[in-house]
Amino acid sequence: MNLGLYIHIPFCQQKCFYCDFPSYANIEDLQEDYVTALRREIAAQGGIFSAYVVDTIYIGGGTPTVLSAKLLKQIIAEVKQAFVISPEIEWTIEVNPGTVDGEKLTTLFQNGVNRLSFGVQSFNDHLLKGIGRIHDQQQSIEAINLAEKVGFQNMSLDLMYGLPQQTMDDLRESMLQATKLPVKHISIYGLKVEPGTVFAKLEEKNQLALPSEEVDEAMYELVMSSLPQYGYQRYEISNFARSGFESKHNLKYWQDQPYLGLGASAHSYFEAKRFSNVSNVKEYMQRISTGVSPQEQCEKLDPKVLMEEFCFLALRTKSGIDIEKFDAKFSSNFFYAYGHIIDRLKTKKLIEQDEKHIYLTELGMKYGNQVFCEFLLD
Amino acid sequence: MQTKNIRNFSIIAHIDHGKSTIADRLIEYTGTLSKREMEAQVLDQMDLERERGITIKAQAVRLDYIGKDGEMYQINLIDTPGHVDFTYEVSRSLAACEGALLVVDAAQGIEAQTLANVYLALENDLEIIPVINKIDLPSAEPEKVKQEIEDVIGLDTSDAVLASAKVGIGIEEILDAIVAKVPAPSGSTSAPLSALIFDSHFDAYKGVIAYVRVMDGAIKPGMKLKMIATNKEFEVTEVGCFRPALTNIQELGTGQVGFVAGSIKNVKDVRVGDTITDATRPVAKALPGYRGINPMVYCGLYPVDSSDYDNLKDALEKLQLNDASLLFEPETSIALGFGYRCGFLGLLHMDVIQERLEREYNLSLITTAPSVIYHVYKTNGEMIKIDNPSHLPPVTEIERIDEPYVRATVIVPNDYVGTVMELSQEKRGEFKDMKYLDVNRVMVTYHIPLSEIIYDYFDRLKSSTRGYASLDYEITDYQTSKLVKLDILLNGDPVDALSVIVHKDKAAHRGRQLAEKLKGIIPQQMFEIPIQAAVGNKVIARETVRAMRKDVLAKCYGGDISRKRKLLEKQKEGKKRMKSVGNVEIPQEAFMAILKID
Repeated sequence: MNLGLYIHIPFCQQKCFYCDFPSYANIEDLQEDYVTALRREIAAQGGIFSAYVVDTIYIGGGTPTVLSAKLLKQIIAEVKQAFVISPEIEWTIEVNPGTVDGEKLTTLFQNGVNRLSFGVQSFNDHLLKGIGRIHDQQQSIEAINLAEKVGFQNMSLDLMYGLPQQTMDDLRESMLQATKLPVKHISIYGLKVEPGTVFAKLEEKNQLALPSEEVDEAMYELVMSSLPQYGYQRYEISNFARSGFESKHNLKYWQDQPYLGLGASAHSYFEAKRFSNVSNVKEYMQRISTGVSPQEQCEKLDPKVLMEEFCFLALRTKSGIDIEKFDAKFSSNFFYAYGHIIDRLKTKKLIEQDEKHIYLTELGMKYGNQVFCEFLLD
Repeated sequence: MQTKNIRNFSIIAHIDHGKSTIADRLIEYTGTLSKREMEAQVLDQMDLERERGITIKAQAVRLDYIGKDGEMYQINLIDTPGHVDFTYEVSRSLAACEGALLVVDAAQGIEAQTLANVYLALENDLEIIPVINKIDLPSAEPEKVKQEIEDVIGLDTSDAVLASAKVGIGIEEILDAIVAKVPAPSGSTSAPLSALIFDSHFDAYKGVIAYVRVMDGAIKPGMKLKMIATNKEFEVTEVGCFRPALTNIQELGTGQVGFVAGSIKNVKDVRVGDTITDATRPVAKALPGYRGINPMVYCGLYPVDSSDYDNLKDALEKLQLNDASLLFEPETSIALGFGYRCGFLGLLHMDVIQERLEREYNLSLITTAPSVIYHVYKTNGEMIKIDNPSHLPPVTEIERIDEPYVRATVIVPNDYVGTVMELSQEKRGEFKDMKYLDVNRVMVTYHIPLSEIIYDYFDRLKSSTRGYASLDYEITDYQTSKLVKLDILLNGDPVDALSVIVHKDKAAHRGRQLAEKLKGIIPQQMFEIPIQAAVGNKVIARETVRAMRKDVLAKCYGGDISRKRKLLEKQKEGKKRMKSVGNVEIPQEAFMAILKID
């Protein structure tokens, strides 16, 4: 059986204004001890999951690349020692362009990381500053070109739209710039103001100049029409890739595959259970050092919840729900559970159906939540 | 017990002036219940009554009291409902008595509702004993209140009882005054039986239990009785009196108050105001004053969850067991699905029923805007009664529409007279009369459409007079008005449950207000939703709910699905509270919005 690993690095040089993920600036002094704790967790879990072959690894954050080459190397070595790694492994690390140099990239490459995901967000320096990024567009271009030289073939970058003061032209230029770089994959997200963030506070004070709903929608349409023209096909609501470069790890989230989270606040899905580690970094370290499990929440999913999640997660992907897979997994008939809503959603032109799949239309992708919540059973 | 030692009386009082507390003290003082058995306000049995401080169903209790002359008296207290909706029930309770205590708060003075009930008592020739209550309050002005009673009602208050039920002052004086002043019943023991029904309740084992006052003759178990208005016959299985629990006795004699049971299954057969007589030796004439039940206010009640339809029906049937004035029949709305059209005596009655359905039967309901009964005269000469705006025939078939008018009596401190008159004018009221009750308080009378009263007159009256105004009204007549049906169209389709009948001159304003309010309530959907207010084919107001531009959860952080799921669940919860009409999803609040517009 295959398994994905997610490894969380909760450190950042500076917290971005829109970010509500568990990542922290100004706790650099904890990095070494955190890595020590993380390695202990990796070693312990490796023993438990020894029967599994790890075929995707995703080191995310935070900013994993704020760690030194030495610490990164330690983590990688620990993983290789603890788990059975597939020769076909897709091993991704998130990269902030302002935190890498040739040495660090080389270390990663030589130790087995074969996919980079660059947090670029925009190629407009003014906008980057406005959202709290520590890098400029020049650094992004240089880092990606450098990575190519080091040997990375499979690279992705993240872009955002709907940023304060962003114009359609800004977005158009950023996409154009992205497609000129040697990246095979682009993730593109609309900005959402989350509670507790710097942006939420600004919005409260009416000091956040977000594009209007109309412009935001036009941006969405622009993205959806442009990227395929540059050869990046949409294979999931927010993800585009050249053929064969779809992220195997991300697809695991949507396709009901097991993954194990390691590190503070990391989430796991395994044998119908969703569980996660404590998100407080110090508590995580404390627990590991005293031999207490860092696991905080564990939800055993009942068949109803499993069905619901199977559907609304699969629907995020281009291929949608695999009806036969559903029937086999639940020893049931998909249409028995969902037939009534399928018709309704079809009438609204939100979904379509072929012989084996139920999938979102373009309209359905745009109003995904409207469809997903219909798949929650009463 | 000889009839000369029987006294039957009621208490007339405004809400909060202390009726229930006085009743409690009388029960306690006469030892009818020991202190230990006393629950505060024993006569108000339902929780709702206790919470709202009002009496919904009339109740009764028999007190034994040894008078100053050393003789034993049987004193029956018949409690009356204290609200404008129940005027008829009040009048029947009063008709069962020879006297009434007029309880007035020493600090507040007379209120509109009190006045209305005093007039009812006077119509029934009752001896009225003024009681000035709450004299222990620092703000009490008993002399001023006495003067007010003399001026307004013309009662002699020289021997009014000064009391404070709360601290127990004046209770014995009240009992002595009842014995001394309330006339003994005057009926004949040998005449054929005639008894007045003033209330009833349904008992699962005994059937309907009728509360009666025997005017002539007597009732004993085994007798065959007949109710004159409904023409139903039954055999008496039990008779008894109220202590205040139902207590069986051998015979209910002339002048006495008590209950009769005889396996009567339907509460509708036992009508308040009807006369019970001996089936084998009937009286020639029924007691005067009987009236059929006339709901004045109608609204649609729909279960939020359509699977609750049968539960709603069961609940209404159960409530009807004890409330013959509640009418309901099935109704279908395109917007709201299956529900019931319900008729009520008035707004409070409607409120109480809704609350009981929600509280006692755990139902979640959508209520449509209350409507009066319109008399619609059609061009073909036919007259139809309409209590649901969506049933109004097309304009071309209508010759004219008549609507019910009331005489509204408002009592208010004179600082607010201007406000009340302005409001009443705005509500199409026609000024009738104004009278100073004392230097500070004024009684204003208006002739005003009932539909305006049930819309928001009462609320606005209360808020614009800081709660000082009191209101009473009674239906007087039907008058022709320029009325039109105001429809609300969402996405081009009329939503039947949002239609209202309004005066022509007010349609534009109401339409604008409604459209604006709905705009704030209806959430963005995948397409633009025009909201139109229309009279006939003419659109008089328009708003637009802009389309939701997109609705995507983008970033998934490190496989945290639970968080996504929670967001979706929240969204789903929101959808559940919506009713789909055509393509448009309408939240419940939208149907409530039409009830009140500020």
